[in-house]
Amino acid sequence: MDRRTVLKGLAGAGGLALTGGLAAPALSQGASARTLRFVPQANLANFDPIWGTQYVVRNAAAMVWDTLYGIDAQLQPQRQMVESEETSDDGKTWTFKLRPGLKFHDGEPVLAKDVVASLSRWAARDPMGLMIIPIQQELTAVDDRTFKWVLKQPFPKMLYALAKNNAPCSFIMPERIAKTDAFKQITEYVGSGPMKFAKGEWVPGAKAVFEKFADYVPRQEKASWLAGGKQIMVDRIEWIVMPDPATAAAALQNGEVDWWENPIADLVPVLKKNKNISVDIGDPLGNIGSFRMNHLFAPFNDVRARRAVLMALNQEDYMRAIVGDDDALWKPLPGFFTPDTPVYNALGGDVLKGKRDFDAAKKLLAESGYSGQPVTCLVAQDQPITKAQGDVTADLLKKLGMNVDFVATDWGTVGSRRAQKTPPGQGGWNMFHSWHAGADCITPAAYTAIRANGDKAWFGWPNSVNTEKEIAGWFDAKSVDEEKAAIGRVNKAAIEDVVYAPTGFFLTYTAWRKNVSGITKGPLPFFWGVSKSA
Amino acid sequence: MLSYILRRIVATVPVMAIVALFVFSLLYIAPGDPAVVIAGDQASPEDVERIRQSLGLDRPFLVQFGSWVWRILHGDLGTSIFTNLPVSAMIGQRLGPTLSLMIITLLLTIVVAVPLGVVAAWKAGSLIDRVIMGFAVFGFSLPVFVVGYMLAYIFALELEWLPVQGYTPLSSGFWPWLENLILPAIALGCVYIALVARITRAAMLEVLQQDYIRTARAKGLGQGGILFIHALKNAAVPIVTVIGIGIALLIGGAVVTESVFAIPGLGRLTIDAILRRDYPVIQGIVLLFSFVYVLVNLMIDVIYTLVDPRIRY
Repeated sequence: MDRRTVLKGLAGAGGLALTGGLAAPALSQGASARTLRFVPQANLANFDPIWGTQYVVRNAAAMVWDTLYGIDAQLQPQRQMVESEETSDDGKTWTFKLRPGLKFHDGEPVLAKDVVASLSRWAARDPMGLMIIPIQQELTAVDDRTFKWVLKQPFPKMLYALAKNNAPCSFIMPERIAKTDAFKQITEYVGSGPMKFAKGEWVPGAKAVFEKFADYVPRQEKASWLAGGKQIMVDRIEWIVMPDPATAAAALQNGEVDWWENPIADLVPVLKKNKNISVDIGDPLGNIGSFRMNHLFAPFNDVRARRAVLMALNQEDYMRAIVGDDDALWKPLPGFFTPDTPVYNALGGDVLKGKRDFDAAKKLLAESGYSGQPVTCLVAQDQPITKAQGDVTADLLKKLGMNVDFVATDWGTVGSRRAQKTPPGQGGWNMFHSWHAGADCITPAAYTAIRANGDKAWFGWPNSVNTEKEIAGWFDAKSVDEEKAAIGRVNKAAIEDVVYAPTGFFLTYTAWRKNVSGITKGPLPFFWGVSKSA
Repeated sequence: MLSYILRRIVATVPVMAIVALFVFSLLYIAPGDPAVVIAGDQASPEDVERIRQSLGLDRPFLVQFGSWVWRILHGDLGTSIFTNLPVSAMIGQRLGPTLSLMIITLLLTIVVAVPLGVVAAWKAGSLIDRVIMGFAVFGFSLPVFVVGYMLAYIFALELEWLPVQGYTPLSSGFWPWLENLILPAIALGCVYIALVARITRAAMLEVLQQDYIRTARAKGLGQGGILFIHALKNAAVPIVTVIGIGIALLIGGAVVTESVFAIPGLGRLTIDAILRRDYPVIQGIVLLFSFVYVLVNLMIDVIYTLVDPRIRY
């Protein structure tokens, strides 16, 4: 008998006296094995995957809501809720037929009218959906299982748009819920996915519970990312939010949780030493570090100042600040797109490679007219990745002879201040740091940060006619080869105009107890196929 | 006494009103925007603005404040911007863990700190006194999170006696409830125990110099009776005061403790709400904490009359 059992017995005896005999229920080993306890990367603070586009919401939503198509591990869209699709000869009319037997968690069948309402709500918020709306002629239900999307011009990337994993995904909801304004939050979480959301057990900031949906009919194909047969092997999945990484690591070591999505690099060596824990790269598509310069105001409204920074920055400095000394976790990135993906191309990326040329950079900076005015650098200290990058940038700018106004604050403040278009001295800014999921940066499809359409572009408002022209070329590409060539041209144009500064490509680990099996690498945690033994 | 208590309760209304106005103004002028957090990293400024409009954040200050006060007067703390859940329900969900943690910590403090302070005063100047006061200084100096990590490492990871994290409600059993609270209560209680022990020692030392103690000794009363019946009762006013004021320390410390031990209490809710700029939740919590302070102060004043009959209101 160990000490904990003795303590338990003693306290139990005392407790019986105090509480009038309240018994402590004990989970049997079998019950424990049927519950998977998962520590997500962040708190699930809301649960509307169209209204709130955070990755953590998308990840939870992928269990509860299904999609018409799903992206697979080869980055190809595959049928999911859809049984078949047809395209008219002119490429303008898409007709889709749903699989038979699809059901929502409230027992109602999934009908074409639900799909129409869901796609309309999704399109109002999604970058690709927003490209479809202006060319849409009609989106209608033909019968219970068939719906039709008629466009004014062809949209070759339609299936990719419906399958992609970038938030917001085109999740299908019952019509009554999907009719909610896309800018207002839904209050019912009814999907047709393999897990049901236990709303009654939801403690935002602490816990979210999902239960297996008995009536879910998986596809027959083997599961591959968001595609194929989504077989759930446990009865219950508990998401336990842990704000403190050290606590999460200890809980995993102790067996209080089974899977930690995103352990920080500092704690990985400790986890690797534990014989009961497996550690591996979680998402092979990784992340792209970035800092953005404000193209509206001096000094970075002059392309020469932006190029000067690019000539001097050393991606290794940034990556080591983020991931430490683990060389398996990063690689230099001479461009903007996710390496090791089918259409990856780094054309024009030489300026980011080789020995850093500070003398040339200083000369170019002087030519831009920079004369020592303060450069307002926003840094969110509560986000380790942005804080690390901010420190490196401050050092870099000082070495270039710039006068850095280092504004260390929290992410909430950076988030609102970066939206200000006023001059830096009047509440605006010159630069801020961020990073982008590699899954979002494979192509321009969902890559908001690469857009360079001036006022409509992401914060920093780059205006690069060439970059925009080449992005349009990618949307028109008809083959993988054409796409790859187009990506190369986008990369070259974006580097020439310095749409933003890529600071390197980095990966993160995921860690789980060895009694858990079936975890696959991917851009989000996939729970289908994951089982747990006692 | 009853009229005094009623007067004090009525007096809380303007206090709470001032707190409400202060909190609302502070949040209004503070940087940060919940719409930006909601919209996510990839959102356009237009998306952010539409979300601001849908949440009513674009309305003038007085309109927002008036609407908030009106809801408060109707017993409605509003709805969380992020979860879309009623703030009162969210606070209700989180109250149990925080109250449990505070009660256990308070009990631990009284059981450990008061006897330590009494013994230190009794043995003033001795090795025992120096050891106790040394521990008090140590406990007072260590940050809560350092103690928390140390305890978790020793008792959870190495010895495997107690869990690292989490909270189980009392309805699930006494031991499951208690085992999750032991380490956090010790971590949180360290500062508090040190403070109360030092105050108890100082108050006892003063009382032990009094003539009536000398008289009690002369009458042949035992040491235990002198210390715990005569002296402690007369030293109780400053001890009660510091225990009451210490509740402020507990609330502050609970924020860190709940994060370290992943307890879903009000402290974590507060931090999450502040980082996300979830205004209705922040306002609700601040109002609740203000009310608790007012109530604790009232209780302290009432307890004064019980331990010292010379005090009259």
